[in-house]
Amino acid sequence: MNERVINLFLLIFLILTFVLGSIQGRRIEFIRDCEKFYRWLQAVGTQVRLFEKSESKDDSTNKYVDLQLFAKTAEIAMQMLMNNEEVAREIAPSKSPSENLSDLIGNMAYDYIIWEVVTSPSIKDVRNEFFKCLREGKIQYGREIGYAEAQASGVNIFNLFFGFRKIAAGLIWLEVDRYWHQGLLYRMVPLMRTCVALDPNFVEAYLIGAWHLAYNATAKLPDTPQHLKKWSQKYNACLGEKETFYYLGIDFLKRGIRHNPREYRLYFDLGFAIYKNKLNDYQNAVKYLTEAVKVPHERWVRRQLYICLELNGEYEKALEGWQDYMKRFPDNPVAPRFILRNQGKIYEEKAKTLLAEASKENSTEEREKKISLAKEYKQKAREIWGKLRDEENDPYGDYRLLFMEAMDLYEEGRYLEAVAVLDKARWESPSNFDEASDMIIKIKQEGGIPLTVSERKAVLRKAEGEKCQGMPEEPLAINKT
Amino acid sequence: MSKVIEFVKGPWYIAVYTWREGLRRKTLVGFLILSLLVIFGATFMTSFLNQATVGDVTTDMDLKLIKDICVTTISIFGVLITIFISASVVPVEVENRIIYTVLSKPVRRFQYLLGKFLGAQLIIIMNLCLMGGLFFVALYIKQRILPTLLLWSVFLTYFEFLIVSALTFAVACASSSSVLPTIAGLFIYITGSLTEYLKDVYNRSGQTGEFLDSLIGYLAYILWNILPNLQRFSLKTQIVNSQPNDPPTDVLIPQLVLYALIYAVSGYIIAYWIFRKREV
Repeated sequence: MNERVINLFLLIFLILTFVLGSIQGRRIEFIRDCEKFYRWLQAVGTQVRLFEKSESKDDSTNKYVDLQLFAKTAEIAMQMLMNNEEVAREIAPSKSPSENLSDLIGNMAYDYIIWEVVTSPSIKDVRNEFFKCLREGKIQYGREIGYAEAQASGVNIFNLFFGFRKIAAGLIWLEVDRYWHQGLLYRMVPLMRTCVALDPNFVEAYLIGAWHLAYNATAKLPDTPQHLKKWSQKYNACLGEKETFYYLGIDFLKRGIRHNPREYRLYFDLGFAIYKNKLNDYQNAVKYLTEAVKVPHERWVRRQLYICLELNGEYEKALEGWQDYMKRFPDNPVAPRFILRNQGKIYEEKAKTLLAEASKENSTEEREKKISLAKEYKQKAREIWGKLRDEENDPYGDYRLLFMEAMDLYEEGRYLEAVAVLDKARWESPSNFDEASDMIIKIKQEGGIPLTVSERKAVLRKAEGEKCQGMPEEPLAINKT
Repeated sequence: MSKVIEFVKGPWYIAVYTWREGLRRKTLVGFLILSLLVIFGATFMTSFLNQATVGDVTTDMDLKLIKDICVTTISIFGVLITIFISASVVPVEVENRIIYTVLSKPVRRFQYLLGKFLGAQLIIIMNLCLMGGLFFVALYIKQRILPTLLLWSVFLTYFEFLIVSALTFAVACASSSSVLPTIAGLFIYITGSLTEYLKDVYNRSGQTGEFLDSLIGYLAYILWNILPNLQRFSLKTQIVNSQPNDPPTDVLIPQLVLYALIYAVSGYIIAYWIFRKREV
């Protein structure tokens, strides 16, 4: 073949490969752009679904347009998803498009559907607006999202080579660890933040960081008396020194959740380690543990959820959960115990409700009927508590039996005996000491029995109320959950 | 069919021969041992960290560090091995005059180059398998779960190396010594990793309104479109710590493989074009 023809053929072939490479490069660029948008949607969706209602806004957040842009995206997305039968079922007409989209984002099963929405041409304008806002620094939750950060803050040499950014985050973490062993807790906090800024998917940094803040930093701090605590508008709570660290830990974990919404450990630590163990806020503990079980998780996460449901007074749900757990893991030794506990509590609650209704009932016949039914429920509860004590060796069964006996004595007006029984009960089950003590105070006050010094102090503390410095008259203007 | 087999046979023998030659290279073995030492040493490095317990969760901080260090090590040593092997397979044969013996046989230049290129790829793949294998075992021992995402990371790393290898190979075909192609290979890797800058240049151009400013911007844009962008393979570092079934990752992997194959073909065409004109 002629040399020139071969050269021409090679040239054409070479140009063709470069053109194809360029086209393929553009396609990858498009996917990467969509990925930034997708990660941002996940972050804002998580914010809307879980945190937005519980957080108050300050002036610094006004310059960001995340929520407006999310609402715009949601409107278009909802129009698109209405045609999808599977998703349309999940869309609640009573909710706003933003809420519906954030719910869909919260469900792992719809990840690929959300991805289809993100890559669709219908959403092109919003996507472009997102990148424009990102360049202008108006996006709050896009700053640390992998590529997006590199795009927004210019190209960084460390970003480009060998993925050094992640290594740098790791090495900084070694420094954090050193400070921890030296007891320099205050030096750790900024470094921990640097770590997660370098690598927003560094889940372990969020976990250990929050643990340091909520547990280690507060280990030797004294409790701040309620009247010395200061009101925090941001957290809608009274904060002492300890509580400030707890909420810093909460913020740190929330930041982690926004960037890693499919990581159960973050939800678990937020719900269990901080809200349950540190703040005794079972409502929020249930909320985040429920999120934890929606994504792939270890089996003990469910157990904690059911325990928190019980602590939050949601006995029916807790019972349902434990029964399901028992079916899945029949060899589990604790499930039968908790099933009995919740069954007993349900009967007690039913009896309590019936007695309250009976006291308001005008018809004697109806009243008697309700009282008789309440007695029946009480008997059933007693049987369960007995079973819990005898078969499961749980001191809680004994405690509940004594507590119920004390309540019966109290209803009969035998206050001294009721107090004596409750005093015995609280030592049988120290974990319920406070509940029994509160009841003792109530009975003593009602029966005119003198209070002990510590009981008087407790009454005084209660009289002071939950007020703290700077607390508004209506502190719960923001929904706590 | 027999013609096809006959055609493939030649390159295959050359590839196997190149692979055997590559195994004897002291530099490559040195790099490999160094990388294996770093991967092995990463497990010791993390022993400085104490495992911390948060609630009931045992956090595997050291696992994360091992992953990051090992992926980086594979990238650094892997690219060095890739450059050294791709830069030397042809020049060494020219220097030793072995090429004359080979080309005097009924082997076309196209087949010879294909064999050399495939041989280089075999060495790169073998090295990656060794490094990735050790990393895989180290991770498995630590977490007791098969680290399947790591395989995807190593897989993507190979395709990134494929681009560097093909372009370095093209330069090597024009040279009679392996020093120049090695330097060129490093240069290709660095510029390939910095192609993203060109987009930045384009985005910032045109602000002064001067013709030259706009011209530079357009030039940068054209180059950004044409030149291979190795930064696109940064997914390999992201993937090891991410969750499975992530839609963007699942979509990106096949696209990146196709991207690498296209540029590998470009590199090979350039190599052949240069080599067929060369007087050997």
